[in-house]
Amino acid sequence: MTEVRRIDLLDPAEVARLGGIEIVAQGVVEGFLAGIHRSPFRGFSVEFTEHRAYQPGDEPRYLDWKILARADRLFVKQFEEETNLRAMLLVDASRSMAWRGAPGRLTKRAYADRLAAALALILLRQRDATGLITFDEVVRQVIPARVKTGQWTRLVRGLIDTPDGRGTAAEAALLRLTGLLARRGLVVLVSDLLFDRALALTALRYLRHRGHNVIVFHLMDPAEAELTGPPEVRFRDPESPASVVVRPRELARAYGETVRREVAAWRSACRRHGIGYHHVLTDLPFGMALRLLA
Amino acid sequence: MTFLHPLALLGLAAAAIPALLHLLERRVPPEAEFPPIRYLSEAERQSARRLKLRHLLLLVLRTALIAMIVMAAARPLVRSRRAAGGGAHEPTALLLILDNSPSSGAVVDGRPLIERLKTVARGAITRAAAGDRLWLMLADGVARAGSRDALVATVDSVVPGWRRLDLSGAVAQASRLVDAEPLPGREVAVVSDLQRTTFGEGRADIPRGVRVLALASATGGEALANRGVSQARVAGGAVAITLVGTPGGRPAPVTVRLRAPGSPAGRSHDVGRALAAPGSSATVPLPSVAPGWWIGEAVLDPDELRADDRRAFVWRVALPARVRADPGAGPFVAAALAVLTQGKRIVEGSDVTVGERLRGGAGTTVLLPPSDPALIGQANRALVARGVAWRFGGAGTPGPIATAGVAGISGIPVARRYRLGGGGGDTTAILATVNGDPWLVRAGDVVLLGSRLDTAWTALPASPAFVPFVDALVNRLARGEASITEAEGPPGVAFQVHGADTVGAVVSAPDARESDLTPAAPDVVRRAIGAELLDEAQFAAEQYAGTRRTDMSGLLLALALLVAGVELGVATRAQ
Repeated sequence: MTEVRRIDLLDPAEVARLGGIEIVAQGVVEGFLAGIHRSPFRGFSVEFTEHRAYQPGDEPRYLDWKILARADRLFVKQFEEETNLRAMLLVDASRSMAWRGAPGRLTKRAYADRLAAALALILLRQRDATGLITFDEVVRQVIPARVKTGQWTRLVRGLIDTPDGRGTAAEAALLRLTGLLARRGLVVLVSDLLFDRALALTALRYLRHRGHNVIVFHLMDPAEAELTGPPEVRFRDPESPASVVVRPRELARAYGETVRREVAAWRSACRRHGIGYHHVLTDLPFGMALRLLA
Repeated sequence: MTFLHPLALLGLAAAAIPALLHLLERRVPPEAEFPPIRYLSEAERQSARRLKLRHLLLLVLRTALIAMIVMAAARPLVRSRRAAGGGAHEPTALLLILDNSPSSGAVVDGRPLIERLKTVARGAITRAAAGDRLWLMLADGVARAGSRDALVATVDSVVPGWRRLDLSGAVAQASRLVDAEPLPGREVAVVSDLQRTTFGEGRADIPRGVRVLALASATGGEALANRGVSQARVAGGAVAITLVGTPGGRPAPVTVRLRAPGSPAGRSHDVGRALAAPGSSATVPLPSVAPGWWIGEAVLDPDELRADDRRAFVWRVALPARVRADPGAGPFVAAALAVLTQGKRIVEGSDVTVGERLRGGAGTTVLLPPSDPALIGQANRALVARGVAWRFGGAGTPGPIATAGVAGISGIPVARRYRLGGGGGDTTAILATVNGDPWLVRAGDVVLLGSRLDTAWTALPASPAFVPFVDALVNRLARGEASITEAEGPPGVAFQVHGADTVGAVVSAPDARESDLTPAAPDVVRRAIGAELLDEAQFAAEQYAGTRRTDMSGLLLALALLVAGVELGVATRAQ
């Protein structure tokens, strides 16, 4: 019996070793779509395109009853969503994103790139115009939302060409982004959110106010969720001269509570403003992360 | 609080280790990047007070833990009345007096008293700690220093001896000895039957700070019945036997046995029997025997104390001396010789001459100083001619006579005398002294006196001891005989010989005071040696009580364990 392995459910670091962003994203998306068997996103309207043979797991409501009655065969109707969904992926490329808690894991940036590429591929396959903005202290890359052929390649290239940033004063960049998103649509922010929550929420709330459907992926390395380390260590902020000497074992509990409190605060604030919020650890398989959107 | 091992307190410096480690550890912590430092700072800010308190608590706990362990190793001692006997106590100088005098051989409840005393003594020594200084003193009065094991071995080997113990003197000597030791505790432990006769007059001088503990009598103050022969002396063809013992004893038969000269010990025969009670005397006539040295023995039936049940006596049977007195000997000498002649102690003859001139020829001369000082030189020349090294010297100072070899004349004043000198350091010739100068000497066949036997020179002629002195002078001293002396020791006789001649004898026996087994009253003990009477349990409990300490090391270790547990809890709780 052949074991079928869905790479969207494998360990992200393991998947990343299969190839570049494109290969990984395509593999992830194939696996993801094969498992979900239906469109992960509902557009504003759909249009019938073709029939295909029924497969176990397909929604019965899409069965073509007429064909069933006429030919006694099971076909499902397939629809094509309208392309009036404009999705913009905002990827945080700040210095803090280029960190990983263990050598065997992806950096938050690498995880974000692959997640964004997979998401873009899904959206483009649905004929949604998809764009990309990368930013750190400033906006690094802006690829307008399109649905034309080659768009996904451009998006991937945009991700690859964006270097790891230095600073993380992303609040200003976020505010600036709001000006770039004139038409309402889907805005997906992939970031570690290591910036001032109030300012960031101001920008996101503004987008929401403008009619955007806003989703936030809050990326966190597992080592950021639970504090571990040598008996005593000086932790240095990669984005600033700040450093602090701590004993991880004695501060672990308080740190864990702080992190949980921070996540809860983000989740609560986003819910309050109608913003989708997902806390994702970088050891979460990509398929599971994408499923959060389904 | 004191410490058994104070040097271990140097380890208290280790109590600084936690603080030092804390400081050293903080100097170069490893560095690492950590993006969510804002969370870290927030967590630290919120936990700062708790962490600071926890750090302080851990520092205190760890420092206390080390300090407790170090102090436990130093064996801290605190004063306590509840501590059991022995065990932990401050270093103590202890002198144990184990009375193995003859009376310790008495049988009490079917068991020799010495065994009980040895058991108590063994326990007292065994309870000593490593820092103690120990001595053991037996009835011989010798303080034996030694280790605990060595002294226990000595105690195990102790048997009843023949020497009487003067407990007052022994305690005084012992207390001086322990008082000289620079130790916190100083004790004298007396393990004795506490006979009342063992205490001397007055109170022993006990230095301040020295404790004296005394084991109470095994009989609970009751006197053991006992009889012993205290004296057996031959005089006038009979032996006078004196019995001693615990007062109130009934009369008991005394058997007198006689052993022929030169016959082996044990080959004796009974020659008489008498009945006597303690404190009384009996006389048993002796049979007529040939000239020579004779040994007899007075024997009692066995009782609780066997050591004093027999006593030897010795006497010499000799022909009366043949004596002649020169006119210059004086009227007192002539009168004394007349009395002796009447008593058949001497006969007229020339074997011994008493006078102020040294004549030639055979026989012994008792030479008195000439009444005319001008004749001293002539007398000295005569001595030279006779080959005698002694001379009459200048006039000596007045003083009393001192002698151990001539009975009855000690202390009698001498007003005039010549110093006797030139003997070449031969002290064996000196029979009596005055103010340390020889007064009566015997050299060869000449007996030299420093004073004339006249009341103008000495009070001796006017004393009752004069005739016995003249008797001894002509019958014994002139012949070169020593006196029959008595000594403390196992019952027996030892003869003194000079060449082939027997010249004296030493009769040994236990001290007569050992026979009275009446224990001393508590107030007598308290007054004599300043000690309270304690039973065995009290004796064990009170020993080292002056320095008794509770060893706090166990408590400290328990506390250290508790602190370690708390430290572990505090250290792991935050993790």
